[in-house]
Amino acid sequence: MVRLITHNLLSCHAKGCTTNNFPLQFKDAEIEHREADFNPEFIRGLLPKIEWKALVDTAKELGDTSLPYEQPEMMDDELLKTLHHVLLEMHVEEGQMICPNCNHVYPISNGIPNMLLAEHEIA
Amino acid sequence: MPTKYLVVFAQSHSDFRIPELKSIAELHGFPLHLPDPCDPNRPFMVIELDQEEHARLLAKRCILIKSISEFYGQGDNYDQLHAAVRKNEALWEQYKQDTSFRFSVAAYNHSITKSRQREVMESFGYMEFLGRIDLKSPTIVLGCYEEYGDTRGKEFSNKVVDGQFRQVYFGRLIEEGSARALISRFDVKKRAYFGNTSMEAEISLLMANQCLARPGSLVYDPFMGTGSMAYPTSHFGSFVVGSDIDGRQMRGKGKQPTPGVLRAAAQYGTAHRIVDLLTFDVTRNPWRCGGLFDAIVTDPPYGVRAGAKRLGRRRSPTPKQLEAYLEHQAAPRPADQPYIPPTKPYELSELARDLVVLARYLLKPEGRLVFFLPTVNDEYEDVDIYTMLCEGMELIANSLQDFGSWGRRLVTIKKITSDIYPIPFSDNSGQSQSTAQHEPAHKDFREKYFQGFRKGSTSLYDGVVQ
Ligand SMILES: C[S@@+](CC[C@H](N)C(=O)[O-])C[C@H]1O[C@@H](n2cnc3c(N)ncnc32)[C@H](O)[C@@H]1O
Ligand SMILES: [Zn+2]
Repeated sequence: MVRLITHNLLSCHAKGCTTNNFPLQFKDAEIEHREADFNPEFIRGLLPKIEWKALVDTAKELGDTSLPYEQPEMMDDELLKTLHHVLLEMHVEEGQMICPNCNHVYPISNGIPNMLLAEHEIA
Repeated sequence: MPTKYLVVFAQSHSDFRIPELKSIAELHGFPLHLPDPCDPNRPFMVIELDQEEHARLLAKRCILIKSISEFYGQGDNYDQLHAAVRKNEALWEQYKQDTSFRFSVAAYNHSITKSRQREVMESFGYMEFLGRIDLKSPTIVLGCYEEYGDTRGKEFSNKVVDGQFRQVYFGRLIEEGSARALISRFDVKKRAYFGNTSMEAEISLLMANQCLARPGSLVYDPFMGTGSMAYPTSHFGSFVVGSDIDGRQMRGKGKQPTPGVLRAAAQYGTAHRIVDLLTFDVTRNPWRCGGLFDAIVTDPPYGVRAGAKRLGRRRSPTPKQLEAYLEHQAAPRPADQPYIPPTKPYELSELARDLVVLARYLLKPEGRLVFFLPTVNDEYEDVDIYTMLCEGMELIANSLQDFGSWGRRLVTIKKITSDIYPIPFSDNSGQSQSTAQHEPAHKDFREKYFQGFRKGSTSLYDGVVQ
């Protein structure tokens, strides 16, 4: 944790930060790899919600270049396995996520990101 | 052709029995025909199913099922029962010739002496079973159950009298309920990590069934706490995401780097299905889009143990608070001393309504929201539940767990729309607009709880310690 599947579904929610607030940029990320159940149906079900470009860019930032730049039309088993690895098996345990728009810093400690907003960041 | 089956229920949570049967039938996609009229308070129920396999599936997953049998007959007395069983000979004649068997004679709310058990067995002599009697591993078990009335809370004169039962049932055992064993497996006291907000195992298992937890479904608990909902749901194969306004609830005290929720999940072999844990106020959530989850299952804070909070202040900060806040803002914080923003209380009826609107946004179509709502029993009316529904969200079940003067209702709501709704709380005010005129009994529950549910209580928010 933070896994890329989750990261792909989060955007900055600070007050007034509504454009260019995704994807959050990892900084000083400490990565761990852990095996997870491969469930092709689960991955297929998620795909419509995944922002492909953000996923590929983020994986690349973290040193994984296994995904094709363009989202393929057909998902074969091999691609699903690659996706499974990128989405579920890479964990960012320490580091920060930074909003590309307002630079808000969301610190990650022991795999749990702190996404609480401070007083001046809520309306 | 549908066949009749006799369900023997465990002696608890009667209000949850039918919702659970329906949920598990829906989970496996088979039809279930309930009797009409249907009294969930009786411990025996005769249902109809298309296949024996469906009975087995129910017995393997329903927490409240003790056993399921193929139904051969019932009666107010043994004459009626035997007449019914004879009539159904077509169902059991195949076992007459050479099937090994055993009889079991039991009672609900009473125990039958050995000698009368023998008498009962002998009264089935007309069935002419020629097979071997095998007490250890018979091919079939024939079960006879006498149902005595509940005497709890009644007069002495209602005392159980042997043989004076309400009803007697007979059938062939198909499957013992194996899911009940999970109650002890998920026992909170045996868990590597738990807290004073942890939910008892049996109820959290029932919640997992209400949310149709299954391999590959994605489940979210926005009030994660110590993670009680995550363990049974991930056990049934779901992937789980949890968040809480207070990260310490998920991490636990002490120096261990692995969060408590993951330590507990590891004990159950499901840590890899806990997708992520995140710290945020669910009314200020960072989810990028909606339509994400198959189910939201949660025990919202209702202020008795873990008060509902949201970011913001009840009143303007004192000079001291302001100073602390400015200091926080100026200096970067080490990760182990996260900035803890001020919070203000969150009224329960408002929270419940917000939760339904949020679930409509975050759930996939057909997804379910399953959560507890505490209510004052004397004041509760069914309309209370309807005041918190919104367009596109339909009530599926509402089961009471009764604690006397108060109770909590497990509410199951289904998203019946695939329309896209705007993001809730997006005006960034964090306030829901209440249009409801009716004041539900769960309004200001916390105050009523602390006042012992006296009538005419007034809200005391600003005086209550968090
Ligand atoms: C009744 S407890 C849930 C207990 C949990 N089921 C468990 O197993 O421990 C409610 C939780 O909601 C959290 N909470 C309260 N207000 C919140 C908010 N606005 N957003 C997110 N979490 C909140 C509390 O920190 C608490 O952990
Ligand atoms: Zn931002």
